[in-house]
Amino acid sequence: MRTRFNRTLDIRRTILIADDEMINRQILIHKLGRFYDTIEAATGRETLEKIREHRADLSLIMLDLNMPDGTGYDVLREMQEDEEIKRIPVIVLTSEAQAEIESLQLGAVDFLEKGKDMPEVVVARVKRSIELAEDTMIIRSTEDDELTGLYNRKYFFEYAKLLRRSDPEQEMDAIAMNVERFHIVNEIYGRQFGDTVLIKLADIARKILNISGGLAARSEADTFFIYCRHLEDHELLQEIIREGLQGMEHAAKVRVRVGVYPKAPPEISLEDQFDRALSACHSIRNDLTRQIACYDEALHEEQMFEERLVGDFEQAVSEDQISVYFQPQFLIPQESQPILASAEALVRWDHPELGQLRPNRFVPTFERNGLISRLDHQVWRKAAQHMRAWKERYGMTYPISINISRIDLFDDELEDTLSGLIEEFGLDPSEYRLEITESAYAEDSRQLAEKIQRLKDRGFTIEMDDFGSGYSSLNALTELPLDVLKMDIKFARQLTGDQNSHKMISIIMEIAEWLSASTIAEGIETEEQLNVFRSLGCDLAQGYYFSKPLTAEEFEALFCRYLPKEGKAC
Amino acid sequence: MLTIDQLREMGVQPEDGLKRCMDDENFYLTLVKMVPGDAGFQNLEMALGEQNLDAAFEAAHALKGVLGNLSLTPLYEPVQEITELLRNRTEMDYTPLLETILEQRKILEGLCG
Repeated sequence: MRTRFNRTLDIRRTILIADDEMINRQILIHKLGRFYDTIEAATGRETLEKIREHRADLSLIMLDLNMPDGTGYDVLREMQEDEEIKRIPVIVLTSEAQAEIESLQLGAVDFLEKGKDMPEVVVARVKRSIELAEDTMIIRSTEDDELTGLYNRKYFFEYAKLLRRSDPEQEMDAIAMNVERFHIVNEIYGRQFGDTVLIKLADIARKILNISGGLAARSEADTFFIYCRHLEDHELLQEIIREGLQGMEHAAKVRVRVGVYPKAPPEISLEDQFDRALSACHSIRNDLTRQIACYDEALHEEQMFEERLVGDFEQAVSEDQISVYFQPQFLIPQESQPILASAEALVRWDHPELGQLRPNRFVPTFERNGLISRLDHQVWRKAAQHMRAWKERYGMTYPISINISRIDLFDDELEDTLSGLIEEFGLDPSEYRLEITESAYAEDSRQLAEKIQRLKDRGFTIEMDDFGSGYSSLNALTELPLDVLKMDIKFARQLTGDQNSHKMISIIMEIAEWLSASTIAEGIETEEQLNVFRSLGCDLAQGYYFSKPLTAEEFEALFCRYLPKEGKAC
Repeated sequence: MLTIDQLREMGVQPEDGLKRCMDDENFYLTLVKMVPGDAGFQNLEMALGEQNLDAAFEAAHALKGVLGNLSLTPLYEPVQEITELLRNRTEMDYTPLLETILEQRKILEGLCG
């Protein structure tokens, strides 16, 4: 059984034979009619009419140059201007050398000398021309990204290499462009809108090419690559993007980010150039003040640093370089002094060469590459170990909050893992609190709500971290079974004498009350800040005003000061 | 009825023409019979009569294609000659050449019956 389609045998193709001399047409029809269906035309005008009429199924045109009412040249010229018929291959019938050159320049693929070429030659050349044209079409159709009509990634790199080779002296930029949180744009406004955004981005890429030449591709999802002559004026780039999105529905919700690797050195592979442009693009994630970032030495070093951290991670785990610090949390009742109530477990990495690293140096990297999950497991276990030790020594432990990363929430075994830890270390789930960052809730709130409900069913307390940083909708909040809202650090930082900043906090207090959730203020550094939160009814607070993050031993010492007198001696 | 032998007697070397017709004699002879009626002869005669060398060239060139395709040597040769002269728009008396062409055409017409 044949498993491959035989292009030559399986389709009977149609050829248009255009010659004003009936005898010439008849000779060709006689030759080709056994293999092909034929259509005839005797004048230039008739030829064009027939081409347009049969454009969908015409495989080849055999064209005489000297015809009345429009010559073969006229036909070729008209065809060049009409995208729909331009693709149809033309073999020119001639006996003039000069005519051959001109015909080829006008797009003819081959020529046959009238009265000279033998039937076998004619048939073979016709067949070959059709095959070549079809191959080209098939290749073209795989070159393009279907939605935007730009090149796809693979062909983009092939053509970009050719372009670079054709003019190695030209200074080129590698530009990467994407949309901040595109998956959320898709989710909120629908896939159709998402597609509209992508088409607009493709148009923006084309406008950039109009100015600086080059090539553009949709590399994947919402990421576009542009390889063009060096562009000095980034304001112009911003203007093109702004104009490109103007008038589009929800335009204000679509944030386009651009990463540029300017004058990318030719000794660096194009793939690496675009990786770097993309990392510049990612470097302004969540940074609303910048739309365009350039790849430079600082970014390169940062990237090298990140790579080093990733490389060192295994060793960090095996050599126990990961430790847990505790950020104490205090109850802040209006009528009395703050009282130690709980703590948040924070990760530290005691790197043998780089010294102690705080989470902001490595957590974002590990979040991107998925290592965060293993890091989290380490922290969860270590926190549980300390809690167990305190329980043994003092008969109690303060509740500790541990961080659950977004990726952990997609782990089917999360509930079992956490319950297993509780059981292994003899803890109560009410002592082991789970902090989930607000941005995680924006992904798929229903799936997440179910997950959180399952964790709650196991007895865990759920805290929403960074609340008010901008991602959760009130609608999503009602679906989530939350126990605690932990206010984003910006509320403390932005606190001024201004009543408006107080008002925002009051609103959050009301939301918390409505959800029957308690509240924690983060980043409290001064007494004034504390007083504001306290007066507005916030339940708990943490920050340098109370204490910096403490080692387990330091926290234990603090812990002892708050123990009831009848508790075990420290 | 026109035959290949008659054409040979007239000076035609039909081998290539026949090959172009896939050695299909009937088809070849059918096409040959259409030649005397080809508008090209009339167009050429008229254009030369009007001293319109551009139109004469086009007509001669078209005829040359047909005659070459069928390898009608005695007609092809003078037509080729006149085509080259007309290509350069040579100012000359084309009457003798035209007469040769028309004479050969007449012979062929006679054979075709």
